[in-house]
Amino acid sequence: MHYFDEIELGDEIGPVEKIATDEGVANFCDVWGAPTPNRFTDAETAAKSGMPGTIVPGIMTMAMMAQLLTDWGGPDSIKDLDLVFRQPVPHNRPLTLAATITDVREEEGEHLVECDILMTGTEGERYVGGKAIVALKQR
Amino acid sequence: MAIELEYDRSLYGVEHKAGPFEITNEIIDRANSSTGETGPAFRSDEGAKEAGYRGRIAPPTLCCILVRQVSLPDVKVKFGRTQMHAGQRVEPKAPVYAGDQLTASSHLKDVYAKTGRSGTMVFVVWETTFSNQDGLVVAEVQESFAKRE
Repeated sequence: MHYFDEIELGDEIGPVEKIATDEGVANFCDVWGAPTPNRFTDAETAAKSGMPGTIVPGIMTMAMMAQLLTDWGGPDSIKDLDLVFRQPVPHNRPLTLAATITDVREEEGEHLVECDILMTGTEGERYVGGKAIVALKQR
Repeated sequence: MAIELEYDRSLYGVEHKAGPFEITNEIIDRANSSTGETGPAFRSDEGAKEAGYRGRIAPPTLCCILVRQVSLPDVKVKFGRTQMHAGQRVEPKAPVYAGDQLTASSHLKDVYAKTGRSGTMVFVVWETTFSNQDGLVVAEVQESFAKRE
């Protein structure tokens, strides 16, 4: 966990590498109650929607992005996580998650860190991007 | 040139309620295992207490999963053929504890068109507020769906 007084503009959070496995996606879809068959777990349904293969649900990529931030700032440090799902995310491929700090400020007694956050693929694909605000503790 | 969008504007101002959703240990376990979540406060009561919580808490995006269980009406946008999940936003307001009973209240926030390099897309944005059994707001979630020509 990090403290507010350690942080400087331009600092990086991560990068960390993650993989969304077939099993992980199936489990995630069960929790959500996704109607089946769907393009997340069924290759034929994915092909019908023009996808090269089954894809990772946007909300699952969001959970992975949130993990990057909570590992760094603490379990309830996220104040705002706002993501755009830019491209379909494939299963079983390395995904790189990282954020860059763009602002640090104190607001209404909270120590806030704003960052740009991005999930990329091995060929530089920009799968998911957005902004986050994280509140850190002050020592 | 601005596009005159045709859709069901009577949906504005209507709240769609859902729940209660019980936040069981099993739901948290399954969400954790699917993403490889290892944060101690999300894994057990002991881990959460060490981090200063009264008990095990759910990861901050759990409400983004629950929101898919809210039944929302068709906005009837007369544009495009394919729809995709374009984006999502969560603003966690308070911890969600294992054993909490959450209710959801959703409304149509906006419908708008945007033209970029790949053409025009129409976005439909829903906003959902999750509250716990004590009436405390625990998260605001926005979902954005895009329709493409």
